[in-house]
Amino acid sequence: MMKGGWFRVYTLGYLIFLYAPIVLLPIFAFNDAAVIAFPLAGFTTKWFTQLFDEPALRGALANSLIIAVSASVLSTTLGIFASRATTRYKFPFKGGIMGMIMLPLVLPEIILAVALLVVLLGIGVPLSLFTVILGHVLVCTPFSIAILSAAFQALDGSLEEAAYDLGETPISTFRLIILPLVMPGIISSLLITFTISLDEFIMAFFLAGTEATLPVYIFSQFRFPQAVPVIMALGTLLVLSSILLLSIAEYFRRRGIAKTGGKDTGGFL
Amino acid sequence: MTFSAEKSNMIEFKDVHKYYGDYHALRGITATIKAGEFFSLLGPSGCGKTTLLRTIAGFEGISSGAVMIDGKNMEGVPANKRPTNMVFQSYAIFPHLTVAENVGFGLRKDPRSAAEKAKAVTEALEMVGLKGFGNRAAHALSGGQRQRVALARALILKPKVLLLDEPLSALDKKMREQMQVELIKLQRQVGITFILVTHDQEEALVMSDRIAVMFEGEIAQLADPETLYRRPNSRKVADFIGTMNFLPAKILSEADGKVEIDAQGFGPITLNAEQVSGAASSTGASVGFRPETLTILFDGQTAPDRESMAVVEEVVYYGDMTYYDIKLDGSDQPIRLSMRNVFGRPVLDIGTRTRVAWAPGALVVFR
Ligand SMILES: Nc1ncnc2c1ncn2[C@@H]1O[C@H](COP(=O)(O)OP(=O)(O)O)[C@@H](O)[C@H]1O
Ligand SMILES: [Mg+2]
Repeated sequence: MMKGGWFRVYTLGYLIFLYAPIVLLPIFAFNDAAVIAFPLAGFTTKWFTQLFDEPALRGALANSLIIAVSASVLSTTLGIFASRATTRYKFPFKGGIMGMIMLPLVLPEIILAVALLVVLLGIGVPLSLFTVILGHVLVCTPFSIAILSAAFQALDGSLEEAAYDLGETPISTFRLIILPLVMPGIISSLLITFTISLDEFIMAFFLAGTEATLPVYIFSQFRFPQAVPVIMALGTLLVLSSILLLSIAEYFRRRGIAKTGGKDTGGFL
Repeated sequence: MTFSAEKSNMIEFKDVHKYYGDYHALRGITATIKAGEFFSLLGPSGCGKTTLLRTIAGFEGISSGAVMIDGKNMEGVPANKRPTNMVFQSYAIFPHLTVAENVGFGLRKDPRSAAEKAKAVTEALEMVGLKGFGNRAAHALSGGQRQRVALARALILKPKVLLLDEPLSALDKKMREQMQVELIKLQRQVGITFILVTHDQEEALVMSDRIAVMFEGEIAQLADPETLYRRPNSRKVADFIGTMNFLPAKILSEADGKVEIDAQGFGPITLNAEQVSGAASSTGASVGFRPETLTILFDGQTAPDRESMAVVEEVVYYGDMTYYDIKLDGSDQPIRLSMRNVFGRPVLDIGTRTRVAWAPGALVVFR
């Protein structure tokens, strides 16, 4: 009984630590005061109005969306190739090659960012959204591979052979059988790499040149105290859209499992 | 079906070898499978049955030799261009499609109209006893139903050869026996050459026109079920198919199509030369016979051929049958005898001395 009691206290404490700051976001986003402090001063929506009137922020948001969409599509595409190769084929130095691809997962990001910066400047590539996309693909691809190789691993190899046997080519088999069956994994990978790219700071900070992404913009705004409530409003919107995205991802994952008659083992989300 | 007396050759293996790295999986397979035949590849797990089947389907290349289908060398012909279809051990039903979509999958490039294809799917489902299942989700089917879908999906393409890799091994005993009968009927109905892989000797005997028994990448014997059962060509084949008793024997003389042997428990006998099989071995010859070829003689019964005395050592009662382990006089090794139980006739007790009838014609000599 006592043990169960302490466990409950621990769980509650953990959840408060995790979610209290996030709950504070909307509270201060609607609070009619420029300082972030209790007691609350009254209800307002003016921070949201200001938010939408800020051209620099709109630019940063657009940049971030462009980068996140490109990085998630590119890294998921690369992830599909790599996962297919590693689950289906034997090739020399497979372990070593896969290890090298997964390395960015554990390397300090700042090292990667600085190294990439030095190389890009060295070969004369100007810093732009494109260079940030490159950096994010590097960071996102290992996540994509981790998600997708699980999806490819779960495929029964004889399904593919059955499709050949029934007259399909390797390409039409991939389209008709493999792709639909790993689709939940692909959607998962797209959404997760999108989220990773969207809030990635270090690569964006080093590689963006004059173009700010959303996290870089937010970081820069904290120098101005009067901008903080606007950031709270922005944070509120970001949290809402994250919840929406993850719900969509979960919906697709469950539908995929139901469709193929598999067992729900929790999934990545 | 065919008007020619001689059936044409559907599959020919010509000295097929297959290596997986250093491992020699197929060791010179030479065999012919006739058109319209129900053919089985039988052998213990790991002997290369699946590998051989997959060389026909085109999933497995061969290291040397040739695989011919209907007179054409299949070298370089990919799986999707071969006139064969396969029922996989796991059935490989596409889980994201309906039953009808699964069955009609191979018709995608068929030039017929959608309505005609739908009709073909309906007919194929009817043929395997799944009428009205078309709209079901494939992943919601039972094992037996999946297997039927796999059959319909393969047969709808009217292949020259249907390949079945242990199709019944995942079913329970009752379902398996029912499917055996259905498969035989289906094969007669469609007239397509069926090639079945199985490790179950009873299944092979029940279903096949001819059987190739394989051990360690080689075909040990290729024959019809009766020959395989009555005249196995080696002790190994005899051991694998059914139950066979062995007693030590000496070959005394061979001449003019006759062989004289001296077998433990039987004494000196003269047999026909075709009753002797297998290459000469150093371990000495033996004589083999099935449990049902010996009969216990009750009072007043006389042996149609020969008789010996024996003592009952063990009795196993099965209801319709009784199995006795007996020792023939002059032999120190127990042998098994099976008797159909007849009403009013007693089951013998352990230790009973009894007369036993046997026939030299039912013996096989292994060198
Ligand atoms: N892809 C492969 N790579 C290496 N060895 C294999 C491969 N496929 C089968 N083998 C080996 O070849 C032998 C025959 O296999 P298989 O044809 O599947 O046997 P069976 O179907 O008679 O049980 C086995 O020893 C197996 O381990
Ligand atoms: Mg096998």
